[in-house]
Amino acid sequence: MIQLQHISKWYNVGGKPTFILKDINIKITEGEFVSIMGPSGSGKTTLLNIIGMLDLPSEGSYQFFDQAVYDLREKHRTELYKKNIGFIFQAYHLIDELTVYENIETPLLYQDVKSSERKAMVSDMLDKFNIVGKKDLFPSQLSGGQQQLVGIVRALIAKPKLLLADEPTGNLNSKQGEEIMDLFQKINEEEGVTIVQVTHSEKNADYGHRIINLLDGRVESISEKPLKQV
Amino acid sequence: MLRNYLKVAIRNLWKNKSFSAINIFGLAIGLATCLLIVLYVVDELSYDTYNEKADRIYRVNTDIRFGGGDLHLTVASDPMGPTLKRDYPQVEEYTRMYASSGSKLIRKGAQFIEEPNVAHVDSTFFNVFTLPSLEGNARTALNEPNTVVITASTAQKYFGTTHALNKIIEADKIPYKVTAVIKDIPRNSHFHFDFMFSMDNADYKWGNFLSNNFQTYIVLKEGSDYKAFEKNFKTVVAKYLVPQAKQFMQINSMEEFEKAGNKLEYSLMPLTDIHLRSDRFPELSVNGNIQYVYVFSAVAFIVLLIACINFMNLSTARSANRAKEVGIRKVLGTERKTLVYQFLIESLVTVLIALFLAVCIAFLVLPLFNDVAAKSLSIKELLGKKILPFLIVLPFIVGLLAGAYPALFLSGFKPIAVLKGSASTGFKKSSLRSALVVFQFATSIILIIGTIIVYRQLNYIQNKKLGFNKEQVLIINGTGALGNNVRSFKNEVLNMQGVISGTISGFLPVSNSSRNDNSVSKTPVIDSKNGINMQRWAIDYDYLNTLGMHIVQGRNFSPGYGSDSSAIIINETAAKLLAFDKPVGKKIYIYNDENKPLAFEIIGVVQNFNFESLRQSIGPLYMVLGNSPWLTSFKVQTANISALVSQVQSKWKSMAPGMPFSYRFLDDSFDEMYRGEQRVAKVAITFAILAIVIACLGLFGLVTYAAEQRIKEIGIRKVLGASIGNIVGLLSKDFLLLVALSACIAFPLAWWAMHNWLEDFAFRTNMSWWVFMVAAAIALLIALVTISFQAIKAAMANPVKNLRTE
Repeated sequence: MIQLQHISKWYNVGGKPTFILKDINIKITEGEFVSIMGPSGSGKTTLLNIIGMLDLPSEGSYQFFDQAVYDLREKHRTELYKKNIGFIFQAYHLIDELTVYENIETPLLYQDVKSSERKAMVSDMLDKFNIVGKKDLFPSQLSGGQQQLVGIVRALIAKPKLLLADEPTGNLNSKQGEEIMDLFQKINEEEGVTIVQVTHSEKNADYGHRIINLLDGRVESISEKPLKQV
Repeated sequence: MLRNYLKVAIRNLWKNKSFSAINIFGLAIGLATCLLIVLYVVDELSYDTYNEKADRIYRVNTDIRFGGGDLHLTVASDPMGPTLKRDYPQVEEYTRMYASSGSKLIRKGAQFIEEPNVAHVDSTFFNVFTLPSLEGNARTALNEPNTVVITASTAQKYFGTTHALNKIIEADKIPYKVTAVIKDIPRNSHFHFDFMFSMDNADYKWGNFLSNNFQTYIVLKEGSDYKAFEKNFKTVVAKYLVPQAKQFMQINSMEEFEKAGNKLEYSLMPLTDIHLRSDRFPELSVNGNIQYVYVFSAVAFIVLLIACINFMNLSTARSANRAKEVGIRKVLGTERKTLVYQFLIESLVTVLIALFLAVCIAFLVLPLFNDVAAKSLSIKELLGKKILPFLIVLPFIVGLLAGAYPALFLSGFKPIAVLKGSASTGFKKSSLRSALVVFQFATSIILIIGTIIVYRQLNYIQNKKLGFNKEQVLIINGTGALGNNVRSFKNEVLNMQGVISGTISGFLPVSNSSRNDNSVSKTPVIDSKNGINMQRWAIDYDYLNTLGMHIVQGRNFSPGYGSDSSAIIINETAAKLLAFDKPVGKKIYIYNDENKPLAFEIIGVVQNFNFESLRQSIGPLYMVLGNSPWLTSFKVQTANISALVSQVQSKWKSMAPGMPFSYRFLDDSFDEMYRGEQRVAKVAITFAILAIVIACLGLFGLVTYAAEQRIKEIGIRKVLGASIGNIVGLLSKDFLLLVALSACIAFPLAWWAMHNWLEDFAFRTNMSWWVFMVAAAIALLIALVTISFQAIKAAMANPVKNLRTE
């Protein structure tokens, strides 16, 4: 599904390049659950953004479902990304002025889904994640865990094939974090959604099938894990 | 502490160069506009205040209604002044000017120069008005006949020096001795004479209370109430006017006269009101209009307010950048009060820089402004004692006005929230901000509508069917100087290539031509009931066809009829007022010079033509064959007009050696009547553009502000798949709604204001709905362009940068 080859990214500071990522080669197959780990500044988030097509590398190639992403025009890349990728952030990044319902609906607006269809899809998701009662609340009226839940629902609403999560539990307490991770596992197993998450926590990383360890912009090690029994 | 503030202020301005530039530039434009208008207004208000007795000098105005005609005159009869001084002890002094006789021919060597700015004045003239002498004593200079007082520039012109005492000036072939040279009359005076001749030389039939030809001024003693004094005029009328009226016009008493709907009233007008508040006739120079002073003052205030609003908006827009500084200062123990001072000082620094720039702009633009407003203002007047205090106080007021809101807003940040980076939340949908935008755009739309309508009205006047053809008519001025040769001059010119026809008549349907009115009646006895006041124009056989006027009934004057000397042509208004079913062939009666009624037979009715400004409806008028040689007009048809003019000029030189040759074109003279409106239109257009530019700068700032406020949201939306178009739409929608709302507010206000302005014109264009639509569309388009620049920038930004959590 995803194939990164010789991905490097650097900034020129005082005429000398400072590498954030250096020669990254990663392959992720459909249905996988991958965790990216590493200390601060190791390039985890940048790598995730590159996978999510939010950022461009300075060098390298990227195959997404056998399509060379960097050969595509901006417009097609946006299409590809809109259809296939959902994003989850550490700070939730819900839109403060919109209700839970409207927040969840937003991605559909940008994919030109019809009004009636949108309504059905959002109601369906609200039902499924058991937050029907919260649909008219604003983000500020929710707890962190609930906000992140809304964030996840929003990311899933357009039925993406790939879910990218940047420290999804970073702002949550351990119990809330555990609930979110369980949810991720469930989505991965039941819906077959590929998940790539960036995390600091060993415990959360263990939910993944594979852990990629980054250090100073390089892949230090990849540890494969046997499938966890449910 | 103050140094620290100033340092931070200047570094902040420097750091955000483009922002500061917009801020300072917008404010500078606003201030410059304000300064120019203040110069203009102060100048307009300063008219005639140079006179030491300005607060005690009054002009005697006359209001007459007789036979359907209303006359509001600036002049009174010749005995009025002396009578008031003799009968009423409150009157300290009086003086009169007699300028109705027109220009004089002054000899300079072998050459004659036509001087229009001449008057005969009473010897008391220089006791009333403060016009200091350079040589001789003006106060006693005109005690004798054949004396003249001239201004310094006139002395320079005729004698090459201001030492012109006792030299001789020959005017209309009469020699006058220069008995004083005065400094040039101040620019802000309602009269500008170059020559002031002794009143004793005025050629006038003295002693007639019913003939009004003298500008008459009285000085009341200190402490006299002029309103109370006006009551005395009733006594004057009863005592002096009624006996004369009985003698000449069969009017037996004032009651009978007034019962017939007539009026004869006198009033006093304070000297300092003359320039701005007199809409009377005839004035000694072009007057201003107090309405324009009000309108321009309001515009100055509004433009300044718009500029201040921009400043507020742009300052708050920058607040996110300043929030951290506020947080740190607060954590370090700064009180809110101190922070408010700091921000106020910053805004004061900005305003001072803007003010400096504004003075520079005003200095550069002033010649242009003078040209447009027909003024000769000087930037030095900014330092005069009237404006300087204003100039000093202005930055403080503007600084406070513009800085107070940002100062209070910024200093109100909670330090912890700010340092955590969530300060900007909670200030997103501010109704104040929306109100400011609505105000700015409503003002701009009103100005755009006003500008379009003024422009359309002027266009309408220019192209209106006037009842005569103003194109290709050459007017030769002063042909009276040719004496009996005027006819042969006309015939000589008619022989030239390209001249179609010509007419000798001082009466033309434009300004700077003769006017004469007279009472007309259907019965041989004219009294106050059946008299109709009409214009009496003396013309010749070729008049109507030369000027392209049309006869709608009857016929034109023709040499083929021997009896045309007692024939008369009336215009349509006159026919209507006389209420004749078929006017042609009817008789009407007109008094001759000896007050005897003469019968005239109506031979034709001429189609109504505009002979006064289009502000007035067309009054009654009649035409008779007569001798009025002042002007000679030619209908021409030639591509090379200048060759023709020089041909005419050489003919003039051979027939009237030494006499000044002067010509004009009828259409130019026509345009001359609307110079005032054209000036106002130009000024209005300039200010409208300025207001819009400033409002757009403000909108630019606001969109920047909005984009900054919503930067996180924009990032999220982009991650969720929003296109650039989606984001631009999102950012623009709110503002465009506000502009639409502004239009709704602006329309009725603009309609009302322009309706009032158009009311002034008897002939006016209509206010089409499209004018309003166009104005709204322009405002919307400008707003859209301004917004999209920032919106696209925000939408193009990489969301990753904005979503990074710190």
